[in-house]
Amino acid sequence: MNKYDWLLFMHITGAFLLVGGGVVAAALNMVALRRDRPSEILLLFGLTRIAVAAIIAGSMLAFVFGLWLVNEVGYGYGDAWIVAAIVLLILGNAIGGYAGSRDARTAKLAEQLMAQGDGPSAQLQARVRDPITLACNYGSGLILVALLALMIWKPGA
Amino acid sequence: MLALVRPDSWNLPLFVHVLGAMILFGATATVAIVGFAARSRSAHAELLARVALKTFLFAIIPSWIAMRVGAGWIEGKEFPDGDEPGWLGVGFAVSEGGGLLLIALGILGWVSVRRHGIGRAAVAVPVLAGIYVVALAIAWWAMSAKPG
Repeated sequence: MNKYDWLLFMHITGAFLLVGGGVVAAALNMVALRRDRPSEILLLFGLTRIAVAAIIAGSMLAFVFGLWLVNEVGYGYGDAWIVAAIVLLILGNAIGGYAGSRDARTAKLAEQLMAQGDGPSAQLQARVRDPITLACNYGSGLILVALLALMIWKPGA
Repeated sequence: MLALVRPDSWNLPLFVHVLGAMILFGATATVAIVGFAARSRSAHAELLARVALKTFLFAIIPSWIAMRVGAGWIEGKEFPDGDEPGWLGVGFAVSEGGGLLLIALGILGWVSVRRHGIGRAAVAVPVLAGIYVVALAIAWWAMSAKPG
C-alpha cells in the first residue's frame, strides 16, 4: 500500500463514520417520534450521543485526509467541486449541530418530566416533533448524500 | 476522491454501492448500539429489541440489497472478462458471507422481540451486529486500499 492508498482509506473511513453516524441518529430519532414516555425519549436521545461522536470524528477525518489527498493527487484547492464539498461539509455539520442543540434541550425536558412521574406530555411531544428541528436533521442528511454524489462524480475535475 | 481516473459510466453504480454500504454500516451499528444498551437497561429491553428488529427490516435489508446490486453492477463494468483482483474477493466474502450472518441476525432479532428483549437471542443480536460492523470496516479497507 502506498501513501495515496492510506490517505484514501482514512478519507473513506471518515466518510463511513460521518454517514453511518447520521444513519444511527436518524434511526433513533424516528423511533423517538413514535414514543410517549419521557424516559423512552430520553434513552433514545441519550444513545444518539454515540452517533454524534462518530459524526464529529468522521467529519474531521474526511476533511483532513480529503485536503491531504487534494495535495497528493494534484487537484487544486480552488477547484469548484472541492470548494463545493467543503461548503457542504461545513453546512451539513452546522445544520446538524443546530438540530442537535435543540434535541439536547428536548432531552433535558424529558429528564425533568421523567422525574415528575414519567407520564406523557403534550409539550414534550411538540418538542420531539418540532418541524424546524426535524427539517434541520433530515436536511443535514440530504446534504451528506449530495456530498457523497459530489465526491463520486467530481464535476469539472 | 474515490478514484483518480474512472469512466463516467461507473459513477452511478459506484454511488449506489457506496451509499448502500454506508447506510448498511450505520444501520448495523444501530442494532449493535441498541442491543448492547439493552443489557444495562432492562426496563427498556423490549423497546430496544423492537428498534433493532425494525432497523433490520427497514434499513439493513434494503441497504444490503443496494450495496450488493451496486457491487455486481460496477464489477460487470470494471472487470467484464471476470479477471478479478484479490481485493474484490474480500468485498464479496463480506457481502455474501455477511448476508448469511444478517439472516441469522434477523431471526435472532425476531426471537428477541418475541421474548420481550431478554434471553440468549437478545445477547447474541448485538454481538453478531458488532462482528458485521468490523467485517464492513475490513471490506471498505480492501475496497479503498486495494491491497495486492
